[in-house]
Amino acid sequence: MRDVYVAGIGITTFTRLEYPLVEIASYASMMALKDAGITEVDHVYVANMGAPRVNHQTALASAVVDSLSLMPAGAAAIENGPASGGSAIKAGFEAIASGMHDVVLVAGVERMREVNNLEATDFVATLTHPIAEYIYGVTLPAHAAMFTRLYMEKYGVTERHLAMVGMKNQNAALNNVWAHLQQEITLEGILDSEEAMTNNPYVAEPLRFFDACPVSDGGAAVILVSKEKAKELGRPLIKISGVGQATDTHAVHERKEPTDLLAVRKAAGDAFAMAGKTPEDVDVAELHDAFTILEIAESEEVGFFPKGEGHLALERGDTALGGKIPINVGGGLKGRGHPVGATGVAQAWEIVTQLRGDGGKRQVEGAEVGFTCNFGGFGNNVVCLVFEKEA
Amino acid sequence: MAREIYAYQCRLCGEMHYPFKMVCKNCKQNDFFEFDTVPLPKKGNLLTFTRVYNLPAQYEVATLGLGIVELENGMRMLGQIDIDEPKAGMAVVGSVEIVREETYDHYYGMVFRKA
Repeated sequence: MRDVYVAGIGITTFTRLEYPLVEIASYASMMALKDAGITEVDHVYVANMGAPRVNHQTALASAVVDSLSLMPAGAAAIENGPASGGSAIKAGFEAIASGMHDVVLVAGVERMREVNNLEATDFVATLTHPIAEYIYGVTLPAHAAMFTRLYMEKYGVTERHLAMVGMKNQNAALNNVWAHLQQEITLEGILDSEEAMTNNPYVAEPLRFFDACPVSDGGAAVILVSKEKAKELGRPLIKISGVGQATDTHAVHERKEPTDLLAVRKAAGDAFAMAGKTPEDVDVAELHDAFTILEIAESEEVGFFPKGEGHLALERGDTALGGKIPINVGGGLKGRGHPVGATGVAQAWEIVTQLRGDGGKRQVEGAEVGFTCNFGGFGNNVVCLVFEKEA
Repeated sequence: MAREIYAYQCRLCGEMHYPFKMVCKNCKQNDFFEFDTVPLPKKGNLLTFTRVYNLPAQYEVATLGLGIVELENGMRMLGQIDIDEPKAGMAVVGSVEIVREETYDHYYGMVFRKA
């Protein structure tokens, strides 16, 4: 297998965007192409979950190629739920590692604010099991809430721990100009004061408004290249050294131990094994905190902390900027926003920014190894990536 | 006649499945449709639950109770719960009722109440 490098990155602001879906994807892609200093690619992958349903558009990759005048490059869209972004990067990785292509553009995009909140919630819920889950009115917040309750009983996680994750990530987003949420929050405002229940009502008990990521529009893109091409382009050498993907049962109730996220454990283990690294080697990580509980649970399953101790690490400040393993320093999904198809690519964008040393106020000093976990479904399709900076 | 929701038992190894799969998750040897249908038990204990305030389109109620129930045969299923103060571990009993209505369709599923 050939080595694969990230030679260019681009992103749009994550917020409500009044631009067509294709322009959002193309804008991020243009930035990535300019960053890499190229105007031609061999292949394009576009990660997206909702275009046919939410935006009434199919064959998205062909439209993006046309908009960027990248013809006759090959192009395909990848729909894999909220793990679309990670899956598209994996497909690009495979195309270069196999020797089939030398330059691949991977763009992730979503425009969910085109529909109202109820329809967006329903659209995301369509990834649940149609007969055993969807018909009951299950939403992703509902799955996360039921998971949270089990976690609270088993490991002693409290609403305060959840609020601490929410506060950490939303306030981290203040250091990221591309992030959706630009409002500082305090534990007093969302948990302790008399107004907290008004400021921060339940979305799905025991999860509250500030435990969930916002519904965002946005796009992100990366340019993947072979080693020869990376050296020729002269950009900092950021290598994707580990890739792992794993699945779990579609219906959440079928899992033997309902507090385990086995797909996360397997995908992370495979990515670390391929990279020849361990969780202790990671300097900066992006975990899929669509709900606050997921950052805690994933930080355990990927191996940063023992099972059931993620919330204790949070209390110690291990996961904050300056801590032992800073997690989601750019805001995570909670602060940056979660345009579902774009998220996996945006995680890679943040890690490459960090490994290049371009993080500004949120820079993790001396970061050399980065990690991403892109969590699809309710943990039934997960992609983990390990990134390394080469001198 | 009381409505039922069915589990699917592999004819080769006896493994029970809910929901339906095409291939047995235990032996993986069965041919398509080599399953017997077995009604899921109605009684069980509440494993976990939530009350949802932000419902998908089509639901014309303010909030909805949902839970995962451990049935008396050890299988689990997700259903709606119609319980004022649910508690983990409480005994519940299910009945098959309309759980989702759309313009031209309605869907039946399990609704659990306090036993």
